[in-house]
Amino acid sequence: MIEIKLNGKKHKIKENLTILEAAKQVGVEIPHLCYHPALEPEGSCRMCLVEIKGVPKLQLACSTQVKDGMEIETDNQRVREAREAVLEFLLASHPLDCPICDKAGECKLQDYYYKYGLFEDYFEEEKPKRCKLVRIAPNLILDQERCILCTRCVRFLKEITKTEELGVFNRGNESFISIYEQELIENNYSGNLVDICPVGAITDVDFRFKMRNWFLEKKKTICPICSRGCNINIHFLPNSFPFKKDKRVFRITSESNPKINGFWICNLGRYNYHYIDNDRILIPLKKDRELKEISWKEFYEQVGNKIKVLIQRKREERIGVIVNLSLTNEEYEVLNVFFNQCLVGSEIAVFGRKKGKSDGFLLTEERNPNTKGAKKFGFIEKKIDIKNFFNKKELVILFGNEIIEHYSIQLLSEILSNVKTKILIATTKGTLINLFDYILPSTVVPEKEGSFTNCQGIIQKFKRVLEPLGKSKSELEILTSLAQKSGIWKSFLLERRIS
Amino acid sequence: MSLNFSSKAKVQIKEIIKRYPEKQSALLPILHLAQKEFGYINNEVEKLVAEILEIKPIKVREVVTFYTMFYQKPIGKYHIKVCKNISCSLHGAENLINYISKKLGIKVGEITQDQKFTLSTVECIGACEHAPCMQINSEYYGNLDEKKIDLILERLTNNTND
Amino acid sequence: MIEEKLITKNLEVENLYKIEIYQKYNGYQALKKALLQMTPNQILEEVKKANLRGRGGAGFPAGVKWSFVPKHTNKPKYLCVNADEGEPGTFKDRFIMTNNPHLLIEGIIITCYCVGIHTAYIYIRGEYEHVAQRLEGAVQEAYQNNYLGKNILNTGFSLNLYIHRGAGAYICGEETALLESLEGKRGHPRLKPPFPASVGLYKCPTVINNVETLSNIPVIVLKGGEWFVKKGLPKDGGTRLFSISGSIKNPGIYELPTGTNLKDIIFNYAGGLKEGRELKAVIPGGLSAPILKADEIDIPMDCESIMNINSMLGSSAIIVIDNETPIIHVLKIIVNFYAHESCGQCTPCRNGTWWMKNIVKRIYEGHGKLRDIDNLLRIADNIYGKTLCPMGDAASMAVQAVLEKFREEIENYIQGRK
Repeated sequence: MIEIKLNGKKHKIKENLTILEAAKQVGVEIPHLCYHPALEPEGSCRMCLVEIKGVPKLQLACSTQVKDGMEIETDNQRVREAREAVLEFLLASHPLDCPICDKAGECKLQDYYYKYGLFEDYFEEEKPKRCKLVRIAPNLILDQERCILCTRCVRFLKEITKTEELGVFNRGNESFISIYEQELIENNYSGNLVDICPVGAITDVDFRFKMRNWFLEKKKTICPICSRGCNINIHFLPNSFPFKKDKRVFRITSESNPKINGFWICNLGRYNYHYIDNDRILIPLKKDRELKEISWKEFYEQVGNKIKVLIQRKREERIGVIVNLSLTNEEYEVLNVFFNQCLVGSEIAVFGRKKGKSDGFLLTEERNPNTKGAKKFGFIEKKIDIKNFFNKKELVILFGNEIIEHYSIQLLSEILSNVKTKILIATTKGTLINLFDYILPSTVVPEKEGSFTNCQGIIQKFKRVLEPLGKSKSELEILTSLAQKSGIWKSFLLERRIS
Repeated sequence: MSLNFSSKAKVQIKEIIKRYPEKQSALLPILHLAQKEFGYINNEVEKLVAEILEIKPIKVREVVTFYTMFYQKPIGKYHIKVCKNISCSLHGAENLINYISKKLGIKVGEITQDQKFTLSTVECIGACEHAPCMQINSEYYGNLDEKKIDLILERLTNNTND
Repeated sequence: MIEEKLITKNLEVENLYKIEIYQKYNGYQALKKALLQMTPNQILEEVKKANLRGRGGAGFPAGVKWSFVPKHTNKPKYLCVNADEGEPGTFKDRFIMTNNPHLLIEGIIITCYCVGIHTAYIYIRGEYEHVAQRLEGAVQEAYQNNYLGKNILNTGFSLNLYIHRGAGAYICGEETALLESLEGKRGHPRLKPPFPASVGLYKCPTVINNVETLSNIPVIVLKGGEWFVKKGLPKDGGTRLFSISGSIKNPGIYELPTGTNLKDIIFNYAGGLKEGRELKAVIPGGLSAPILKADEIDIPMDCESIMNINSMLGSSAIIVIDNETPIIHVLKIIVNFYAHESCGQCTPCRNGTWWMKNIVKRIYEGHGKLRDIDNLLRIADNIYGKTLCPMGDAASMAVQAVLEKFREEIENYIQGRK
């Protein structure tokens, strides 16, 4: 540990930190643009200049290491004037696009100008004209006028994805960033460029002009696309938003977690959030020649009774359950108690999403969020004789739509037709909806709480951050309520207390 | 038909690469060679050079666009580069630039119809004792006046060999 | 007084660039003395005693720079000769390389022997194509005579020397931008620390010296550091090659002792101004050196003296400006130059030089306002001390000096008078 003085106050900090890191640790913010904790210090924006006692020139906080006894000023007049100078230079070449720029409200240039600028405008020349719509990726647009040449994007593609699709061309104030010819950025992490761009130079095609970010609330949850369990933030319209919109969630950004996903998320997780609002089953339905709405109470009673009857006739083996690998640890625990322990003889099969290609970084081959969690309770995906499984089943409960990845709709239609009572508990409608007698809406991950065990074995708890859409309920709630009406409540509670 | 260096150039390239412990160092010397061979550096040349050095073409273009001596468009057989920096300016470089511009009928940065001349202005070329100066391709010409320029341009215009 | 010539000695001899002629005039004697009679430490001591300050512009003592290179390292060490000579008004290195290339080569070899370097590159500006060819010829001759290559003079010391041409970028004269360019990249200066002496070319310890600096090494080895110091000033030894151009009768290279009076150089050595012209201003050390008024030139030309009057000796390139030249022209050239040569990496230089250029353009074309002068001064001050490399400071100081010393003339220009 060493001791430094920061703005007159003494602090004990670890060695081998830069001034910027040390200041952050003790709660002092030093503005910066080109610096990013995941990248090598660049030192080109000059925003983080600070004064060190005994050193005549101002020094960069992002790349200067602290030494024992160093005295640093981050907010005296000299430093403030330097910051104003840098801001003024940046704004001199920067278009006044705020009214039409997506980044407004979360733009570093705006934020810093508001906090450290507010100076008179001396600029009387014509601003440089550049291309405002360079398609650098299928999902990204670059506005070369807004670019402040912090080169975070270029360095991200060099140091993190090692794909180098972007480069800096020309020289001086003629410099601009672009791709090579029409070689678009097509790696699985390009979406992060929008997040790391401090201004609105790189914008997301998915989000462009759709919503002002100050209307959106931001809450943390876990991405369910693969088994990495990256921490994400969903940005959604709260109920207080006065105008009607057809969706709640407008974008996903990463939440940094040094143990799991670092600072990044992959494009698969970033852009596949439509499962949250699109094509959702909203109300419990029962097929009576056609699908009609029923209440949850009716469902629990009707299906609960059927289970009761099967128990009485000692025909538990007529009950089949198909689970996926996207349920929470708590839900697997309940499933285990409900069927393996209380309904001994009932059969459980596991069907998750099929494996995909790993990208060598965050995206895993395994495309289910809780395979490890399921495994702990004995739910492991195995190849089974599906015809045999459904043969002689009177009651089947299917959790999720994943089975459609493994068998054709015709086959499923055929083998399900012999099952008396078919229950589907899923989030999206999909193609299976017409094959079932009961269709119940379950909640998506942001709408429930629980925990997932990721591919590294790390258990991550998450809270409910969105209100369940329509009348959807979490599988945990559904199973617990169903247990109450299935005549197994006493042993259910007993077994749960034991486990 | 893909672009390639002459066999003579290929030998030179091999030798150049040997001079450095890291291949990318050979980029500037090879680009000079490429410029001589192909006249200018378009994306085909960029890709060719990139392949030889095992780097991405974008890295080649980053370098080509940074340095003023690499051209992305065809330039005249004779590239007239007139210095407009201090000592040459003190000797009337501006007037000479205008004179050449009028004489050839092109503006600074343009190429003549017959592709023979391109006119550029450059910063100090390090021959200030002979100001005003210009460089045509690799040759230096100093102590210029309109008469001298006439003579030089005439000689070059009549020059039929490369 | 006939000054002793160190570098420009024997230049009247025809074909001095040929090795057989060079050797006739004591050529490579210093090398032989260094490799056969001296240890690297002894050479270093002499260079330190000589107080040989860098001749490229920064003026850093060569001996001190060499001693920063770690003695014990697993990494190969490199020497980069800075022959980029981009500072407007400077042509001394071209002069040395064209007329006496072996002197430079000899200096290079001795330096490498002293620091323990086995690979050296001469980074020569791209425009000097013919100069590079002459250098190449001289290098080949040196190899053929066993002054380069393996086992030089049977001492076991080996050295490879290569010539590497730049491609038109003033910023590559800055030592770390030179390294980047040598590595085949854009000439973007690096953050310092770390310094090239520890992390340089290919991240290995590297010495970077100017052509003229290294050309002084042979005479220091032959005559000793103390002798060399006496040829100049105690803290700034030896002679300097002054490039003088502009409105001067006899432009050219003048090798004179460090500390020679600027007024003397202009009026006694270089013949004074052209017929009918009067002195208006002098830029003493290349375009980056803050301009001096006609009444400020009675000053010795050494690093410290020039610094004390808020200018710099830089590359010792003297540019003489007469009273027929409107100062707005000088200002325009300065701002255009820095805007053109800015590498674009850091905010203040990239945006600041562009901004200044546009203001001066507007003034020049007749749309200037009086407040533009104060704005220019403010911008220049905002650039100063905040950039990644010294070029920003150079642009800032050069502009500020012109505006402060010739303010009235510029105001008159703006207001439409002469």
